[in-house]
Amino acid sequence: MDLKLDPDDLNSCVQCGLCLPHCPTFRVTGDETRSPRGRIQLMREVQEGAPVTLEVQEAFDTCVQCRACEPACPSSVPYGHLMEQTRESLAAEGKTAPWRQRLAFRPLAMPRMLRLGSSFLAVAARARLVPRRFGVPRDLPIRRARHTTSGDDVYLFTGCVMDAWQRDVHIAGQRVIEAAGFGVTPTGDVAPCCGALQAHAGLTDHTRALAEQMMAALSVDQRPILVDSAGCGAAMKDYGHLLGTPEAEVFAARVFDIQEWLADHVDALPNVTPLDLRVAVQDPCHLRHVQRVHLATRTVLAPFVRELVELDDDGLCCGAGGAFSVLQPELAGDIRDRKVAAIDRATPDVVASANPGCSMHLAAGGVPTEHPMTLVARALGVL
Amino acid sequence: MGLLDRLTGRTSSGDPLADDLRAVLSADRVRMDGAERALMAKDASVFGGGVAGPTCFPTSTAEVQAIMRVAAEHDSPIVPRGAGTGLAGGAIPLGAPIVISLQKMNRILDVDEANRVAWVEPGVINLDLSNQLRPRGFHFAPDPSSQSVCTLGGNVANNSGGPHCLAYGVTDAHILAVEVVLPDGEVVMLGGIDAEPSGLDLRGAFVGGEGTLGIATRIAVRLTKNPPAVRTLLLSFASVRDAAQTVSDVIAAGIVPAALEVMDQRITVAVENFVGAGYPTDAAAVLLAEIEGLDAGVDIDAGRIDEIGRANGATEVRRAQSDEERELLWKGRKTAFGAIAQMAPDYYLHDTVVPRSALADVLEQVYEIADRHDVVVMNVFHAGDGNLHPLLLFDAREQGTLDRVHAAGAEILRASLDAGGVLSGEHGVGVEKQRFMGELFTDADMGHQNRLRRGFDPVCRSNPGKVLPEGHSCADIQQLRAVPTGVWG
Amino acid sequence: MSSLAVADPVLLDFAADVGPEGRVAVAGGRTRWGLGGELRSDTRVLAAPTGIVAYAASEMTVQVRAGTPVAELDAALAEHGQRCALPARGGTVGGAVAVGENVVDQLGRGRLRDAVLQVRYVSAEGDVVTGGGPVVKNVTGYNLPKLMTGSLGTLGLLVELILRTNPIPAASRWLAAEDVDPAAVEAALYAPGAVLWDGATTWVLLEGHGPDLASESNKLASFGVFTEVDGPPELPPHRWSLTPEEAADFSRGAFVSSIGVGTVWADSAQKSLPDGPGVAAVAARIKKNFDPTGRLNPGRTAGC
Repeated sequence: MDLKLDPDDLNSCVQCGLCLPHCPTFRVTGDETRSPRGRIQLMREVQEGAPVTLEVQEAFDTCVQCRACEPACPSSVPYGHLMEQTRESLAAEGKTAPWRQRLAFRPLAMPRMLRLGSSFLAVAARARLVPRRFGVPRDLPIRRARHTTSGDDVYLFTGCVMDAWQRDVHIAGQRVIEAAGFGVTPTGDVAPCCGALQAHAGLTDHTRALAEQMMAALSVDQRPILVDSAGCGAAMKDYGHLLGTPEAEVFAARVFDIQEWLADHVDALPNVTPLDLRVAVQDPCHLRHVQRVHLATRTVLAPFVRELVELDDDGLCCGAGGAFSVLQPELAGDIRDRKVAAIDRATPDVVASANPGCSMHLAAGGVPTEHPMTLVARALGVL
Repeated sequence: MGLLDRLTGRTSSGDPLADDLRAVLSADRVRMDGAERALMAKDASVFGGGVAGPTCFPTSTAEVQAIMRVAAEHDSPIVPRGAGTGLAGGAIPLGAPIVISLQKMNRILDVDEANRVAWVEPGVINLDLSNQLRPRGFHFAPDPSSQSVCTLGGNVANNSGGPHCLAYGVTDAHILAVEVVLPDGEVVMLGGIDAEPSGLDLRGAFVGGEGTLGIATRIAVRLTKNPPAVRTLLLSFASVRDAAQTVSDVIAAGIVPAALEVMDQRITVAVENFVGAGYPTDAAAVLLAEIEGLDAGVDIDAGRIDEIGRANGATEVRRAQSDEERELLWKGRKTAFGAIAQMAPDYYLHDTVVPRSALADVLEQVYEIADRHDVVVMNVFHAGDGNLHPLLLFDAREQGTLDRVHAAGAEILRASLDAGGVLSGEHGVGVEKQRFMGELFTDADMGHQNRLRRGFDPVCRSNPGKVLPEGHSCADIQQLRAVPTGVWG
Repeated sequence: MSSLAVADPVLLDFAADVGPEGRVAVAGGRTRWGLGGELRSDTRVLAAPTGIVAYAASEMTVQVRAGTPVAELDAALAEHGQRCALPARGGTVGGAVAVGENVVDQLGRGRLRDAVLQVRYVSAEGDVVTGGGPVVKNVTGYNLPKLMTGSLGTLGLLVELILRTNPIPAASRWLAAEDVDPAAVEAALYAPGAVLWDGATTWVLLEGHGPDLASESNKLASFGVFTEVDGPPELPPHRWSLTPEEAADFSRGAFVSSIGVGTVWADSAQKSLPDGPGVAAVAARIKKNFDPTGRLNPGRTAGC
């Protein structure tokens, strides 16, 4: 079938294989059908008429979309876009993203329903009614503090699941920005969801609609839009490519990861006694491999903790991958085992992760995690 | 497998070979589906025509042995596979063999510092090994450009080289012992970690056997001490000839640098686009020289290389000021082959060796040959060893291009042989250079190579159709290729 | 292809002498004549042709006929400031390669088997066969040079070799001290040419640039009092192959251990263990393939 892939993009892969060790699913399986090089070859074969068998479908479904293969690729193959387009084409044929997955994503764009549902889930989780493999935190909040606007220097994008499950991170981030002397407008329900999970599943039409909704709501002025979830930030920075309009390009250029933006303003934060913690930085893939601004996390954290340590696994994915950990629990667990081993070698007190999916996935694996903004806010004493 | 089989959990595939393999492994580690077989039919080379049989993922020597015995019972050929980064088509399956992927045998079993040896499984990645060893004061010296991907098993099969082999020698100088599953299913230990193992040097004969002599399942690698001091120089030249002459003169002066690498202008531009290491994109050629050793000596040698370079017209000599700068320069050199996809969708990377004094002349011929065949050529090579890597760029979708590329490649090989060189310095023969073997060796020479091969594998079970050309046993390629293929075949 | 066939009349004459029939062996300096078992008495013993064929000092390779004395080769190399990995004990180049033993300063000069780039030998059929190639890096085809090195002439009779040479270091110095830990000394030095130990004295060969020798000597001073000596000690006659760890722990009779290498020269012979059945089967098949009638060096087996 026609996957509607750009032949030049497909051809840019020369099969050198340099991506292989950077791919988390290849690392844990050693199977070429679980590798970027293999998946690209399968895209070519399908594009040229080979049938989409169950095994081909699995090869595509098992991609975490961490995009660690992209910086490793000397030929600059746009793998993430190829995979998203492949999934979009397969979804359009009804080959992927079954109805239950579509249904599951729907509430993401419905903030009130999402929060209500989350509260029920929180009660259920506490009562241990949710199977452990779903990775739902036991301490999910039943009630959340209200968002308040403190000024109009920057937007803070609050999003969907994160707002329902980890609103405390938003609040920590907001307090830190305020401590640096800026006024913050949380976006709240006017921009309910970035559409990242939908795009990963190939439901690109949903993503486009959400992108347009967000752009309409946040384009009254040109202030920066700060994002404290690496996955959301990566998706929003890609709106230019997604929508292909000049407006979208302009909008995407206003999007910053919160650490990325703060790295330029870290001197404006007060001098305080650092937290007495040895902190390992776990780089969310969409911060390191897609946005490529992961060094900012270190710049921002360094003054506020006793010690920063690096993991020795070359930024390999933790296995969270948005909905991946729910859709491919076994693979996600194997990948997490590798990451946990790397964390154990670094012997930190806590792991700083700038992405809610990663931190929940790692927490479910027994790793103590905190968002960098929460650590900084604690050091500043603003929580 | 049909839906009914899936629902009932039955694993019979209707294929007796696959069924027997599943009986000795587990069902999930024997793959017969078209997707897997399509990917196993290829490696990093430009060669097609492979047809894979069942793909197995063993996790132990005993499992490899069990697979080999099943292969023997079914009289099926086998082909071992590492990371599939070979460029001579050595891992391309001919005759629908059982593909034995060693990827799941990826443990470092023991690091024995007292004996300067590490025991590893064949699926361990070259760079992972060195990264694990480095904090303990050692590394594994061979460093092929694919070292972040390629496996030790693949290194052993190809007797792999790499930039730093100039001073340290290629893989066979670093392999002390190999546990091998022979094609008849016997498990043997070749070589040993003692100083001079007695008997025929079967270890030395096995390394570089391109998977035709059996499967390495445990490898004892020599630990090389980390150098106390490293100096990295980047010399720019106004011509490739000047760079090549500098290399000859450095060697002739009795200096043995750890590495001497040359890149021409075209490849330097591509690399610089990717890594941004500050490579001079206006120089006709750059020479990357690295000296390892003790503090005073590396400065003395760096100074002499600097002088020799300037005497040969170096326009700039830069010394890496930090480890980061050095690593970035090497990252550029090691990703050079991939980086050219920015310029053309396909490439053919050649690999020949010439005497170092002939480098400049042969390079000139390489450019002339490529021009005559209307093919874009770039040169990036292990100059210190005389190991050329002309890189021919093309777009396979253009009618007739591949023929021109092959014609130019053949002429480049002949020019290298005429200069007193050989067909391959590190990629091996695979399926790529079989037909040229007769231009380097007599029939009697090749007959003797075949005697060695048949000593390990009398029945041509392991990786048939490779290395020796047609007309020699174990090499009847036409017959091996005449395996029926279906959709996804 | 006829153009590839060896044309050197000296080699062809030797091949004609060997011929296609009859038991035959080659004697070099007979310094290791007893290795591998006793030669059958009805064996014709020939001498290999001599002479350096081509020495490309700037390539650091030398093409030399097998009967050439190692001493003659060493002298020619030294004229150009070079050396090789062959032991100089009064024998021939071909003999040294057929035996395959390493030099006492192996850490500095490298292993003999890594220095053999190309072999030419006369086969059991009486043909001159070439394996390997003339350049310093080569993976074209199967590795006949490795197979021939140390095979005691049982697979073919060596007639010509191309060897890798190395520059002689700018400076070198033998030092010795009593009662120091030889393994610790070897571990502390970056690239010694040799570290030897006889149970009491430790000898160290330092090589390289002058200033580096000075700093390495300083390192040695932290282990004990090293004084400059003329060279390595006298080596006992029997050669043992051990692991580096075993060699550093040797204690039987009079001996000299090569630390970091594992070779021990002792006053008694090492009890050799036979190959396992799998290895023996491969070796036997190879012998049969190369010498089906058993006419080359009959009575000898590599590894006994």
